Amino acid sequence: MSTAHPHVPDVSTEDRLYTVKYRDSGESHLGIENADICTECTTNECTSVCPAAVWTVDDDSDGVPSIAYENCLECGSCRFGCPYDNVEWTYPKTGSGVVFKQG
Amino acid sequence: MSESEPTLQKPNHQTETPNYDDAYDAIVVGAGLSGTAAALTMAREGLDVLLLERGPAPGTKNVFGGVLYTPTIRELVDIDDAPLERYIAEKKFSMLSADGDETAVSMRPSAWSDDPHNDSYTVLRRRFDEWFAKQAEEAGVTLITETTVTDVLRDGDTIVGVRTDRPDGEIRAPVVVLAEGANSLVSETAGLKDRPDREDVAVSVKEVFKLNRETIDDRFHLDGDAGAAYHYFGEGAVGEAVGGGFVYTNKRTVSVGVAYRIEDAAQGQTPEATLDAFESHPAVAPLVRGGRRIEYSAHAIPEGGADAMPDLVYDGAVVVGDAAGLVLNSGVHLEGTNMAVESGYHAGKAIAAAIEDGRTDEAALAAYPRDLEDSFVVENLRHYDWFHRTIATDRQFLFEDLPRALADAETEYFKMDRSSKEAHTDAARERLLDATGGWVGAAKRAWRFRRMLS
Repeated sequence: MSTAHPHVPDVSTEDRLYTVKYRDSGESHLGIENADICTECTTNECTSVCPAAVWTVDDDSDGVPSIAYENCLECGSCRFGCPYDNVEWTYPKTGSGVVFKQG
Repeated sequence: MSESEPTLQKPNHQTETPNYDDAYDAIVVGAGLSGTAAALTMAREGLDVLLLERGPAPGTKNVFGGVLYTPTIRELVDIDDAPLERYIAEKKFSMLSADGDETAVSMRPSAWSDDPHNDSYTVLRRRFDEWFAKQAEEAGVTLITETTVTDVLRDGDTIVGVRTDRPDGEIRAPVVVLAEGANSLVSETAGLKDRPDREDVAVSVKEVFKLNRETIDDRFHLDGDAGAAYHYFGEGAVGEAVGGGFVYTNKRTVSVGVAYRIEDAAQGQTPEATLDAFESHPAVAPLVRGGRRIEYSAHAIPEGGADAMPDLVYDGAVVVGDAAGLVLNSGVHLEGTNMAVESGYHAGKAIAAAIEDGRTDEAALAAYPRDLEDSFVVENLRHYDWFHRTIATDRQFLFEDLPRALADAETEYFKMDRSSKEAHTDAARERLLDATGGWVGAAKRAWRFRRMLS
């Protein structure tokens, strides 16, 4: 019926992140304040607000997200998105992290 | 994080931060538009200014749509040499349904083709911010990159400097300008502002597509340095969220993205899926077809308006730009860069006058919030404060029902069959009135949104 969306973009998160330049600091600038809160949390807003697949909750992790900090675009969405204010968010150290070439 | 050595040591080798204590009149945190504008303004007033940037170069952490509005920048620097991409020759406002419908209004006043092009240019922030900071350096500002400010230093209630992530990285100065952007960690850590609610912050994701210049000129009907700014609304732009999509032409690239409330993303509409749907909408996909993705980026946008603005001035410190929530989204006007620069400019002027008087307490710096209050920045924020509340309550009508109803009405009105024009007009009117809730509903909605254009 509908002719909408004929050109579904053939692109994955990995493809997109591959275009981004990073300087790895070797340590995460992101963390979780209190893992017990994540275990209680059923909504996982961190995973749905993040545009870079930094936050993932695996079945066997007791609800505690794993953090792929090296994908982080430093937008801060997880910091605002977590209703429990449970995201530990710092700026990456001394020039590390994302290095936008366009912006 | 809790280094408590009170004073800096004299530097003895290169890895240590040199002793900058009290060498500067002001420290600016962040070399984005507001911070660099503040630094430049102060330097022009004869102040010694230290500009700190956490990225390896100014612009490396900065993302916007975007269009740079230059009325105040032009007062500060000669933008003829600036890395501008294209001037805005055309603005288009377009409503997209999820079924692939588009209804658009496009405008190309010839006045926009004349210098200075209504002070509206597409830029790429990496290049522009780096150039802008270079102008500040040439005016005497000391720029230090790869240095992250982690907190302010206090003497009692007075802010007397900043703590950085450098070894012995405490730096003291009479005034600190917090220009750290939407993620204002320092201001929040220092207790100068609360973290904004997720209803008041948008997430934006953007991609830059490489196309050759002729292709962009042909697709967007452009010549020379002319450029286009397309804004999209409706379910076809951002699904069930409150927000919009955008397409901006740069010289040899096109910037495409969406921005909508983090609240909506938290409810499950992910940024990437939203961007995918927008980029594949039949009104958008042909514009970037064949383009090579050269950068994916994301950023938070403070959209709480005047109500969400924190206090702008403290003993020894001011807050400017995105950190102060200075972004305007009225649906028609999407501005931030001009407000960032304006706030940096007024802050810089106020600080210079205060230092001239030998005082940097809150009262001495009060000219900054007063001048900003009197400027277009706060006036516009207040004028459009109603918009966000209203648009959120009318989301279903505006973003879902209206784009469809318009497309249905257009289809009826221009139908080629063997019925009369009058029958077509009646059918078109019926489609619209169905969506608006009759004449009464239409009148109520027109009244509610009358201020959008006022």
